[in-house]
Amino acid sequence: MRLGDLLGLPLAALWQQKTRTVLTTLGVVFGSFVLAASLSIGQGVQDTFERETHRSDVLREIRIQPQFGESKANAKPVEVKGQMSDARRERIREALTARRRNMAASPVPLTRERLGELSRLPHVEAVVPQSWQGGYAILGKHSQTTGISASRVDDSQAREHLVAGRYFESPNEQAVVLSEYLLYRLGVVDDAALNGVLGKKLTLEFRAQEGQPGLGMALLKPDGEDASRDEIAALDKMKQELPAALEHLHLSPSQIELLRKALSGPPRKVEPILSREFTIVGVARARRPDEERNWDPLYADGDLVLPYGTATELFTASPAHIQGVNLATVLVDRDANVESVLADIHKMGLSAFAFLENVKHERLMYLLIFACMTCIAAVALLVAAMGIANTMLMSVLERMREIGIMKAVGASNGQLQLVFVVEGALIGLVGGGIGLLLAVASAYPGDAWVRGMVNRDIKIELKEPIFVFPAWLCLSVLVFAVVTTTLAAVYPARRAALVDPVTALRHE
Amino acid sequence: MRTVDLTKAYGKAHAVVYALRGVSFEVQRGERIALLGKSGSGKSTLLNLLGGVDRPTEGGLEVAGRELDRLSSRGLARFRSAAVGLIFQSFNLVPSRTALQNVELPMIFAGLSKTQRRIEARRALEAVGLAERLDHRPAQLSGGENQRVAIARALVNRPEVLLADEPTGNLDSATAREVMGLITDHVQKSGATLILVTHDEELARGCTDRLIRLKDGELVS
Repeated sequence: MRLGDLLGLPLAALWQQKTRTVLTTLGVVFGSFVLAASLSIGQGVQDTFERETHRSDVLREIRIQPQFGESKANAKPVEVKGQMSDARRERIREALTARRRNMAASPVPLTRERLGELSRLPHVEAVVPQSWQGGYAILGKHSQTTGISASRVDDSQAREHLVAGRYFESPNEQAVVLSEYLLYRLGVVDDAALNGVLGKKLTLEFRAQEGQPGLGMALLKPDGEDASRDEIAALDKMKQELPAALEHLHLSPSQIELLRKALSGPPRKVEPILSREFTIVGVARARRPDEERNWDPLYADGDLVLPYGTATELFTASPAHIQGVNLATVLVDRDANVESVLADIHKMGLSAFAFLENVKHERLMYLLIFACMTCIAAVALLVAAMGIANTMLMSVLERMREIGIMKAVGASNGQLQLVFVVEGALIGLVGGGIGLLLAVASAYPGDAWVRGMVNRDIKIELKEPIFVFPAWLCLSVLVFAVVTTTLAAVYPARRAALVDPVTALRHE
Repeated sequence: MRTVDLTKAYGKAHAVVYALRGVSFEVQRGERIALLGKSGSGKSTLLNLLGGVDRPTEGGLEVAGRELDRLSSRGLARFRSAAVGLIFQSFNLVPSRTALQNVELPMIFAGLSKTQRRIEARRALEAVGLAERLDHRPAQLSGGENQRVAIARALVNRPEVLLADEPTGNLDSATAREVMGLITDHVQKSGATLILVTHDEELARGCTDRLIRLKDGELVS
């Protein structure tokens, strides 16, 4: 039997029963459509997720903070007084232990040595420190308080935001990039002056840490600007002279006594001022709201940015002046190595968190959702296949005499079986193809709808499509539809092949 | 063609019904035989066995050099396709196919190309006088025309054995004569063996060389 006849005979049979063929095929069309749409959006969401998360280096980053552990002094067991049940005693003991642990916990600090140890771990590209400490930026006669951020040298986003000058050339360069806003506060107002500031020296100054109880004073200026270095110095002087000035205020003797007692303490140790000088190499603008979706904790968007090596040296220079490193971010060379680096960091007794872990959970969530959707679609197709099996069994009964005639003129069991199996496969191929085309066609309005929803609800403007139809997907849907309907046709085909020709020829 | 103690039984154990019992005979190549007998005598059963459409319960059966009782299902199909042509009383044409397509049917399963099939089928239909009715479906043809299509289909593979089961049973006498004329003409020209099942003794005597009579599944002469 030739291939053309193997297709021609089933096609002729399907054509004979047009209405039934259309209805049977519609079941396959629906199943294939749902399957294709489900796989398409599943793949599209996965692609979009991967694309969005890889816009920055966030998946290669590990955040580290000092680990708070229990002090050795608290090793002795907690005693619970009173008559009570064992269960309640245990609950109280646990609460007391937790409280003592929290109060007496001592951090494993992120010292310069530890940061160095981190940077020497295999697969670590950079260790970028972060400190909450602020200082004074002094440019000529002007001074302003400022936070200090550390940055990678190859931060492409930060480079894009430069409005003048350049970014860092090496991690230990004694250079600084300032925000145009800080420069404005430092008196650099005109556009022409922005370029003029490049190459100039900026001094960073840190005052000694008091670390003692006393009177806290701050200056809230009507224009919202920070207090200048001179204003803070004046405030400090006022604080020092305040105990002596109490008697000149309209206070009762008992109030004066109370305040004098509260303000008196051991004499304050005055540390010398720590001062460092850096060359201004660049000026950057702030990120626009539409740029904020490429969130990256390593992105340095402070008023004053130092390269990470220089920042590490500064943050760990003098505990008396700077409180040290509060956080550090480790940049790993590849996503695949994040887990091993994370394990090494945990071995050092540090508390660490990789964004990749979060992403893994997200991936798992949407994979589960789309797996469920795909299963439902597959079930729809299986139901359609059962319909095909039923229809074809009916068809075998109806075509009993025709089957008998074909056998009488020389058709073998195998040839007849093949004819019916191909009939099922053709329904799968046509139904699967139409279902796939419908899915592709409905992807356009579907895409617009999903994009609109994402834009409206989470303010992200997606540029790539959410429904995607890669070759493997189209092929899988077609193959699944054909295989399912072919399998559905196997039993009816077998019944057709085993028809007794003598009985079949007598069939009316 | 040779049968040895050919038996065909239906049913099991206590309810066995014998359609044929111990039938033995021989037919030479090119011989024309008529199977005579009343309704239920086993004529059609014997014809089905000779045509490889049915299998015997017991006994030996050799047709056109093939031992049919030993052939596999596939072997029987090949035998039906290559060695025998079957003509039925009720024509047994596929209603959805045209005359040409019905005649093509045996050649489809024999694996012939479409072009070759078309040529052969057209020639066979022209030989039975239906050159003008190629694209007509069975419902659009008369009884005689339908039987001619069935004859063309039976002859198109040039079989060694032609088996005809009451081929004129549904036809008027004039048409019956025409149809039998076509069959005997072909048999004479091709040298094929003819087994004709009929209850019409006059027709049998006119068209065949020898009569075989069956009664209650047994050979009586």
